[in-house]
Amino acid sequence: MTDNINLTISSTREDIAEYMSVIRLTTSAVSSKIGFDVEEIDDIKVSIGEACTNVIKHGLNDGKGSINIEYTLYDDKITISVKDTGTGFDLSKIKEPKLESNLESLDDSGLGIFIIKSLMDEVEIKSSEESGTEIIMSKIKIV
Amino acid sequence: MGLEVIKKFDDEKNEWIVKPIGEVDIYTSADFKNTLLSLIEEKNTDINIVCTSLDYIDSTGLGVLISVLKQMKESDTTIIITDIKPSIKKLLELTSLDKVFTIKE
Repeated sequence: MTDNINLTISSTREDIAEYMSVIRLTTSAVSSKIGFDVEEIDDIKVSIGEACTNVIKHGLNDGKGSINIEYTLYDDKITISVKDTGTGFDLSKIKEPKLESNLESLDDSGLGIFIIKSLMDEVEIKSSEESGTEIIMSKIKIV
Repeated sequence: MGLEVIKKFDDEKNEWIVKPIGEVDIYTSADFKNTLLSLIEEKNTDINIVCTSLDYIDSTGLGVLISVLKQMKESDTTIIITDIKPSIKKLLELTSLDKVFTIKE
C-alpha cells in the first residue's frame, strides 16, 4: 500500500516560518500512522524541521515563495520530499559543520543537513536553477 | 505553539535562570537570542537554561546558543543546560555540543 499526502504553503518568509509548528505537527501525525515509535517520530520531526528551515533560509527568492512537502507512506517506510521554488544552489558548497569542543573553531554552518543525514536512513538532495532544491529523505521502520 | 521565556536572577548562585516554554525554531530563535543577549548585557554571569518545558529546538536554536556562548567566553562565563528531554539530549550528543555546553541532570 502506498499513500500520498501533499502539503503546500505559499507565503512570505516570515509567515512560512510561523507555519513551522504546523508542519511538525502534521509530520508527527502522518508518521505515527505508519507506527513509528516516539523516538523515530522525533527524528522525522527534527529532520523535516531542518529541511524546511533550509528552504526558509535559502530557498525563497525575494522573501516569498512556496514550500511543497510530499509524504509517501509505505507499510514500513516514510519518504518525505521537501521542495522549494528558489533558484537552487551549488550542492558542492554544502559545508560539513565543524563540531568540536573548542568553541573558537566551532562552525555551525551545514548543521541542518548534517542532522538530517544523521537521523534519517536515506537522504538525497537535488538542486537546479530551473526547478529549485529538493530534499528527499526516508525513514525505515524497524520491526 | 511559539515560545515564552521566563527569566530571573538567582542572587545566591549568581546566575541567570532562564526557562524556555515551547519551541525554539526559525520563527522564535531571533527573540530567544535577543532575550539571552539582553540578560548578559544587564549582568554578565552564567546562564542556566532550565529545559523542563522546552519541547523542541532545531539547528537555528543551537546556533543561537553557540553564538551567545561565543560572546560570553570573553568574560569566562558559560551556559549551563539543565533537565533536557531525551530528544534534545540526542541532538546535543549528535552534534557534539554536549561537550561545549555544561549539561546538568
